Amino acid sequence: MSDYQKPLYNHIRNIVLDHDDAHDVLQNTFVKVFRYLNKFKGDSKLFSWIYRIATNEALTFLNQKAKLSGITSEALQNKTIDNLQADTYFDGNEIQLKLQKAIVTLPEKQQLVFKMKYFEELKYEEIAEILGTSVGALKASYHHAVKKIEAYLTSN
Amino acid sequence: MKAFKLENEPKIETGFKTPENYFENFSVSLLEKLPQNEPKTISLFARNRKTFIAAAAVLVIALTVPIVNKYVTKSKELDEATLETYLSYQSNLIQYDLIHELDTNDIKNLDKNIALGDDTIEDLLSSNANIEHLILE
Repeated sequence: MSDYQKPLYNHIRNIVLDHDDAHDVLQNTFVKVFRYLNKFKGDSKLFSWIYRIATNEALTFLNQKAKLSGITSEALQNKTIDNLQADTYFDGNEIQLKLQKAIVTLPEKQQLVFKMKYFEELKYEEIAEILGTSVGALKASYHHAVKKIEAYLTSN
Repeated sequence: MKAFKLENEPKIETGFKTPENYFENFSVSLLEKLPQNEPKTISLFARNRKTFIAAAAVLVIALTVPIVNKYVTKSKELDEATLETYLSYQSNLIQYDLIHELDTNDIKNLDKNIALGDDTIEDLLSSNANIEHLILE
């Protein structure tokens, strides 16, 4: 469990942005992993299976939180980013904050791919297994994401 | 304006941080949240199911036998063998009792069924040691 704890937390935190939310989602992820571990068929790697659960939990959490607030997921993310500077558990500098703001302008899929590739430094093959997409499609998504982020950072 | 290129810049970290000793304490808080392996509650019936079924079967049979027996033996018709056995073991049953139970029709029927000739009767009487006693009766 300790092997997965930190990378999974980082993965979830990159999606939900808030520490408390990341904590809840990480707990739920481990609870699900323990509950369904006997049903893990071994068709994919344990690593990919756990990451997939974490990703789904994080995205579901965001959607539910947005629904409860009566706003869209995108609006919720923008709101969180606007409050990021005041967050106790964010000590990023100006460029770090700008990068976070640039990321939330991307479509959900591109956000995921960029975060997993750039921040978490996962291999395309690993991301492909987690997200269930082809390596080619991931490379294209990442390329588009990088271009949009660079454009955002250049103009801001 | 100089175009920003991610690959030309030093890697930008997320800027996220966690509370002190967060990961050390996380395992403890997770264990509290994980569902405990509660011992399965097995009902007394489920545990001794076979014993219960066997006991129930014995009970049903035990209760059924007297009932069945009662209905089977309820018939008032006595078969001949039972009647003969009864009569032969009743030493205190005297001929008067038998005669008393016979009516005229029964005697006529006996005459028909047991067609004894006079010679046969004479032979029977002459060979019987108690002839005098029988004549007196």
